[in-house]
Amino acid sequence: MSRNLRIDPADSRPIWRQIEEGVRHLVASGALLAGAPVPSVRDLARDLQINPATVSKAYQRLTDAGVLAVRRGEGTYVSDAPPKLPDAERSRRLLQGALRYASLAVTIGAGRDEAAETLDEAWRTLLSGGAPEEDTEE
Amino acid sequence: MNLVDIEELTVRYGRPRTPSVLDRVSLAVPEGSVYVLVGRNGAGKSSLVRCLLGEQRPAAGRALLLGGDAWRERARLLRGVGVVPEEPDAPPSMTARQLARFCSGLYDSWDGAGLSERLKRFGVPEDVPFGQLSKGQKGHVLLSLCLAGSPRLLVLDDPTLGLDPVARRAVFDELIVDLSERGTTVFLTSHDLAGVEGIADRIGLLQAGRLAIDEEMETLKQRFRRLRISGGAGPVPGIETLRPVSTATRAWGWEAVVSAWDEDRPPSGLPESVEVSALTLEEIFLSLSTETPR
Repeated sequence: MSRNLRIDPADSRPIWRQIEEGVRHLVASGALLAGAPVPSVRDLARDLQINPATVSKAYQRLTDAGVLAVRRGEGTYVSDAPPKLPDAERSRRLLQGALRYASLAVTIGAGRDEAAETLDEAWRTLLSGGAPEEDTEE
Repeated sequence: MNLVDIEELTVRYGRPRTPSVLDRVSLAVPEGSVYVLVGRNGAGKSSLVRCLLGEQRPAAGRALLLGGDAWRERARLLRGVGVVPEEPDAPPSMTARQLARFCSGLYDSWDGAGLSERLKRFGVPEDVPFGQLSKGQKGHVLLSLCLAGSPRLLVLDDPTLGLDPVARRAVFDELIVDLSERGTTVFLTSHDLAGVEGIADRIGLLQAGRLAIDEEMETLKQRFRRLRISGGAGPVPGIETLRPVSTATRAWGWEAVVSAWDEDRPPSGLPESVEVSALTLEEIFLSLSTETPR
C-alpha cells in the first residue's frame, strides 16, 4: 500500500490528511479490497519517513469513519462493507466534500458545467480502477 | 509535563558587554513530542544544546532538563537522557560490544538484545574498534547505545550531518521505530529540512540568537503560501494583510511568499490569475532568510 501512497511536502494538505484521503482513494478505486490488511503504523511511518503519530491520526480517523477496522492483536484491515451512516450524516459529509471541490473549481476559474463533467469523469475513472491523478494543489 | 524548558536563555562568550550568542530564548518540549530546532551556522543552536546538556552556564535565564536545572544538576539529570553529539565520539580502541558493556552499567535499564538488533539493522559490526568505523557508523553506534538505555528524552545534535542518503535514512528509520514503540520525546537540531519535514511536531528557527519561529509544524505549513502572477500585473493590492516575507519581480511576472494565509478564508481582492501554492519546509526557511532587513 505504501507504494501507492505518496506524501508531498509541497501539498497544501497536512500529511495526516494526505494519508487519509490517499487510503480512501485506494479503497474506493478497488486497489485495496475489503478485508485486506494495511501496513502497521510503524511500517508505514518508516516507508514514508514520517512521525508515527501522524500515521496514527490518519488511521484513527479512517477507523472512526468505518473505512478501516482494527482486529485486536492482528492489525488493521480494510472494513468488509462500506460504513453504514445515518442519512443526515452522509449528506453532511457529501456536502462538506462538495464544498471543497466547488471552491477549488471557483478559485481556478472553472464553470459549473465543467466542474460537473469533471466529477462524472472522476467517478468513471474511479470505478474502472484508474490511477489517481497526480495531486497538485488543493 | 515538559521534558525541556528553555526559559529566557541568554548566552554570552567573553566579557559581559559582548553581544550575546543567544538572546532571551524560550521554548518547551512537552513529553511525547518531537521538537526540531533549525537555523543557519552560527545562529546559536550549538550554544543552546550545550546549555541544555549542562555544559555551558547561561549568562541569564535557565535550561531545564526533565524539570531540573541542567547547569546545577547535570550528572543526575543526564541519566534519563540519550545524547548523540554533533561529532560522535568514543574511545577509538573500543568495539561496539565493549562500549555496550561499559554503558550498560551506567543506566537503570538496559536493552542489550534491542541494541544488537539495531546494530544489525544499521549494518555496523560489533567487533570493530570505534576508531576504524566510518562517520555514519559512529553515529549509528552512539544512537544505538543511547536508545538501549530507554531514555525519556533523546537529544540529537544534527544527527545526519555529513551522512550519505542511505546512512541518513537509516537514522530516521531507527528514530521512527523508537517513536512508534516508546513514544520517546525528541529534541533535535538539524540542517536537513527535507529529512525532518515529516517528523517534527514543532519547529523552532534560530536567527542570530533569537527564536524567530516557534510553532507547530502543521500551523506553520498552513499559513505560508507562494502567490504567483504571470504577465505584467504588479504587486497585488492589499497584500500587506497577508504579511509577505519576500516579494520578487521575475522575468515571467511577479511572486510573493506570504506568512498569514488562511486556507478557509482566502482574501477576496486577489486577481483571478493568481496561482497559490504551498511550500516545503525548506522553501519556507529560504524565503525567511532572504527577508529584507528592517
